[in-house]
Amino acid sequence: MSRIALTGTASYLGGRVLRRLVDARGADAVVAVDIAAPPTTLHGVRHRMVDLTLPGADQRLVDVFGEERVDAVFHSAFFTTPRRDAAYAHELESIGTLHLAAAAAAAGVRLLVLRSFTAVYGARGQNPNFLTEERRPDATSRLAWVRDKIEAEEHAFSFSRRYPGLGVTVLRFATLMGPGLHTFYTRIFSKRVVPVILGYDPLVQILHPDDALAAVDAALATGPCGVVNVVPRGTMTLLTALHLSDKLTVAVPHVLAYPVAEMWWGSGLGEAPGGFIDYARFLFVADGEKAQRELGFAPRYSSREALMAYLEYRYPETARRAKEQTERERREAKAREAQA
Amino acid sequence: MRGEGKVVSITAPRGARRAEGRPAAAPPRRRRAPSPEETALRQRLSDLEREIAASRTAQEHEGLLVTLARVVHAGARGLSWASLARLQRAIYFAWHSEETDEFGADQRFAETLEPVLDFLYAVWWRVEAAGTEHVPSDGPGLIVANHSGVLPYDGLMVQLAVRHEHPAKRVCRMLALDMFALLPALAPILSKSGSVRANPENAERLLRQGELLGVFPEGVKGVGKFFRERYRLARFGRGGFVRIALRTGSPIIPCAVVGAEEIHPVIGKADWIGRPIGLPYFPVTPTFPWLGPLGIVPLPTKWSIDFGDPIDLEGHGAEDADDPILVNRMSEKVRSTIQRMVDGRLARRRSVWFG
Repeated sequence: MSRIALTGTASYLGGRVLRRLVDARGADAVVAVDIAAPPTTLHGVRHRMVDLTLPGADQRLVDVFGEERVDAVFHSAFFTTPRRDAAYAHELESIGTLHLAAAAAAAGVRLLVLRSFTAVYGARGQNPNFLTEERRPDATSRLAWVRDKIEAEEHAFSFSRRYPGLGVTVLRFATLMGPGLHTFYTRIFSKRVVPVILGYDPLVQILHPDDALAAVDAALATGPCGVVNVVPRGTMTLLTALHLSDKLTVAVPHVLAYPVAEMWWGSGLGEAPGGFIDYARFLFVADGEKAQRELGFAPRYSSREALMAYLEYRYPETARRAKEQTERERREAKAREAQA
Repeated sequence: MRGEGKVVSITAPRGARRAEGRPAAAPPRRRRAPSPEETALRQRLSDLEREIAASRTAQEHEGLLVTLARVVHAGARGLSWASLARLQRAIYFAWHSEETDEFGADQRFAETLEPVLDFLYAVWWRVEAAGTEHVPSDGPGLIVANHSGVLPYDGLMVQLAVRHEHPAKRVCRMLALDMFALLPALAPILSKSGSVRANPENAERLLRQGELLGVFPEGVKGVGKFFRERYRLARFGRGGFVRIALRTGSPIIPCAVVGAEEIHPVIGKADWIGRPIGLPYFPVTPTFPWLGPLGIVPLPTKWSIDFGDPIDLEGHGAEDADDPILVNRMSEKVRSTIQRMVDGRLARRRSVWFG
């Protein structure tokens, strides 16, 4: 019997995918390939310790894949939160994926599913409102965080081209936000005062983790599809999201915001480097049509519902108020309609 | 011990209190009818509880004015991070709706902006719209117009003309130039009032959804043209709008805007100021930047907006969209049609201010 290998099982998404696969196919159908052990609540899950940043990781992975008879790999060992240690992030994300793709190709793995981010398109003023998969990712981004993800995708595709037996699906997830998730943007959402960029209010997409899991399921079941955007229904503006979460926003002119954010990050206080200011200025909304067409994936949550689910978990009081406000607004709209 | 007893006395029945002291002795008489003072106390307590609950709900539901009044009344004492955030939120949602469509058009924001735009439309520029019946009442359509006026007022007015004068009261979404769609403050205003950034992907997506679009193919060359070049249409981009119309099978409706080219007469351009702040040009008009903020008040000219017969695409369809010569010819045809409409209107116009 062949198994599915998972990396990054100590992370939120990887851990939840592991749990879901164990529930669906049994503990023997999966193997966690990670430097850290999977959560102790998962009994009987096979765990093989591999450090993707080590020089011999590829050979070790070939052995592991062979011994475990691995047939598909879900690779989610990526940093959602930018790290100050950019060199380590590069080793793990870009070089780690190079090792993994090489090993997968050599071990005759059929399908490699890669976790990626819609943020790789880059938030730029020139973006169309909906970025399709044909859009080239922003390889000249000033964020090492983005460049590492793009390099990882390219490594996977280059091995897929050289070894036609290896199929690759890259799932570019929109910004994840949901119960239990802690990343740099949920940390920004848990501050009382949030800086925003003066005169900009871009559209954002917020993806519920349940939808992300469903997409991973679909991708593992379907086979290679290339790049696929996994996005929620609908969009919302950044300020709407912040005000629904009862944040006090302080508008900063963008000319000032870049250097200040960079200094803030450099001094060890900031949550993210200055390059992320782009993502608060311009939209990077992706189009989910291909996921619908090729994976049969339809998101259950809209951006707004995903945000509300997060708020209900993190700030029940705020969520209740926001819900009441929505109801009031709906009632008013209905009354207006009745008048008209 | 005594203090505890006092606290209990409000809520617990009197019998229970007595029982605490002597558990083994005479059993408490539980079935005794409550005394009048006890009933009164209980009544008072439940009233107070209800009052507190009511004031709490009132506080949560209070509108903008009440919040402001509370801040004014209590001064800095009444301020907290949470109340400030609530105040900001109330202000924000007073003129933004919670849900926008997927391109970011905001119903309530448009309603907020409407009085201002209606004033500009009906009073300031006294817009006269003609030929709106040429705009299809359903399905996709591409309104192509001449661009001018430094700021994209003409787009907003074409939008209003279609909404007010067209029998089907259609919503026309404008394709905004990059320089406007990326300008701080103007960017969210445009996107919330229904405009999208002008690029082929957005245009094609909207037309396939059967929406009506307005586009100004002259682009930056048109909107920032010198006063001496007024009403001489610049090159129509590279014909992208024709390609999209062919590909989606949408009719092209020519539209001539007369009056907008005089609202900000550009007599010079100070590019050395514009370039460093990311603007393609920095206009100098008789009033701007000399009068400061007053200089951005547009002149109250008299406008007319004419819609013409849809352009005959000579039976070409999606398969011809990749023929550059044909696309260019069609684009030139649209340009000359609009130029003719503008010239015709100019010949009939006697005054810039009164039409």
